[in-house]
Amino acid sequence: MGWRKTEFSPQSVNGDLGKGNWEGGTELNKKKWKDFLLFALFVFPAVAFVLFATDIPFMMNLYYSVFDWNGIGKSMTFVGLGNFVKIFTNDTLFWKGVRFTLKFAVFYVVIVNIISLVVALIMSKERKSSSIGRAFYYIPYIISLTAISLIWKFIFGAGFEALYNITGWEFFNWSWVGTPKLAFWVVVIMAVWQNVGFYMVNYIAGIIAVPKDLIEAAKIDGANSFQVFLKITVPMIMPAVSICMLTALTFAFKLFDIIMVFTKGGPANSTVSVAYNIYKEAFVNNKYGLATAKSLVFVFFVLIVTAIQLKVTKSREVEA
Amino acid sequence: MMKQLKKINVLAVIVFVCSIFWLMPLILIFINSFKPYNDMLQHFLALPKSWSLDMYVETWTKFGFPMLIKNTLLYTIVTVLAIALLAPMAAYKLARTKSKFSIVCFGIIIMPMMVPFQSYMITLTRLVANLDMIGTRRGLILVNIGLCMPLAVYMIHGFVKNVPIELEECARIDGASPLRIYFNIVLPLLKPILTTVVVLDTLATWNDIITNQLIVGGNAKAMNIQNALYMQFSAQTADWEHALPGIVMSMIPSLVFFVAMQKHIVGGVTAGAVKG
Repeated sequence: MGWRKTEFSPQSVNGDLGKGNWEGGTELNKKKWKDFLLFALFVFPAVAFVLFATDIPFMMNLYYSVFDWNGIGKSMTFVGLGNFVKIFTNDTLFWKGVRFTLKFAVFYVVIVNIISLVVALIMSKERKSSSIGRAFYYIPYIISLTAISLIWKFIFGAGFEALYNITGWEFFNWSWVGTPKLAFWVVVIMAVWQNVGFYMVNYIAGIIAVPKDLIEAAKIDGANSFQVFLKITVPMIMPAVSICMLTALTFAFKLFDIIMVFTKGGPANSTVSVAYNIYKEAFVNNKYGLATAKSLVFVFFVLIVTAIQLKVTKSREVEA
Repeated sequence: MMKQLKKINVLAVIVFVCSIFWLMPLILIFINSFKPYNDMLQHFLALPKSWSLDMYVETWTKFGFPMLIKNTLLYTIVTVLAIALLAPMAAYKLARTKSKFSIVCFGIIIMPMMVPFQSYMITLTRLVANLDMIGTRRGLILVNIGLCMPLAVYMIHGFVKNVPIELEECARIDGASPLRIYFNIVLPLLKPILTTVVVLDTLATWNDIITNQLIVGGNAKAMNIQNALYMQFSAQTADWEHALPGIVMSMIPSLVFFVAMQKHIVGGVTAGAVKG
């Protein structure tokens, strides 16, 4: 292993004392060995857990993706790049999932950012009511997905039925979860409701960081609040906007939890996201090799977005 | 002066109304959890006729809540303790060691932060099955620790880099052993970031449904509270009279924890997200 002595090892601290032994080698080897054991003691347990739960499973994708296998039986047929060819030529459901995910991404990114930015602008003032308000918007983000999905199942089902009886509005009588077009909006509404608090907090951090003297100077020069907002606040929070947009985009691409817990891809496969398509391929259709190949294609696309995100975040850190 | 005061109050009222509207689904769940099903449909928006806890008690016993809460607590405590012990050790040593091997180890640990969980959950389930740990508590705990580790190490690593090294060097010259230096000098300095990590992982483990679904699946003995509620009530015809009290009870710990730890949660989530 490429182990080398640590920068702050005793030799470097009181190097003069140890110098006599440097030529001899045995003492140094003993020291190196001791340093290595210490490093292993501190770092290897964490590495082992991560290898087990994430890195090794990820690598297993590479192996299984070149086989035709049902995930249970003994027979695995080597198909080379056959699974990948299949994905790109003959897999309508996967591409339907891609279209759904992209459509979801567009609406989710726009809606969640607009709502959370507006909320953040209202809540960024230091007031008692706004600190309570912030907490209210944040609560959906810290309750479990089970609760969220059951809550909305209740609202869209029994709740809307009751509201229809009270108001008589046709809107409440629509089959929200049962119609493909409306089910899409159900997913968007749930995702937005769950996550607004998270983006709001990020926006508030950005708004609070706008220098107060800049705003005061503009006000002395005769700018009204709207002008201050447009010419000072908006340019100053652009970094926060770009980060929130990209975070939202990554979230949208990875959309899975809500689908798995709430719609299960239905009705009529209209809410199957890419990630859920992969899950279904493995556990429902028992096409294990194909599912792992899809996982790799999926990773490739998500990594592109993540790379852009990292670059933007880094550039902001340099500015700050 | 009067005008100003009025303006602020109007804004405060708007804030308040908007916030209440945002939490409407939760409020409706709460008030309806005390009603029989017919009342839910007929008096959906009204307060319940009586605030009796009968349905809560019935749900508590009928769906085995003591067991579920025991399981969920076990998962949360073991996972968080393991993270609190191992993550700062690794992060500290990795930040203080400048070698290629150290960089490789750090890379192995933070790689999962780039790669979406959804891309390896299938193979993870397969690996756990190969080790014969599907449906077991220890399988879930091992997976949970592994999944929480990357962000924890990453956040603490960033923090350690800003902790001055002089204290450690002084202690070393005074003859303190490396382990003592770590536990007596370094670890207390990491308390702020460690609190954030512990709080985030507590919430994540308590609220976890996906990992529990994948690893524990339908094994009633090892389910956590979220998974059990999901398995019981997400079927087509839901038994709302029991489901609503169940949801409320499953949320109470998260809500209490949130109120108590609000600062750490909000600050920590932002830090983790913007960096990751």
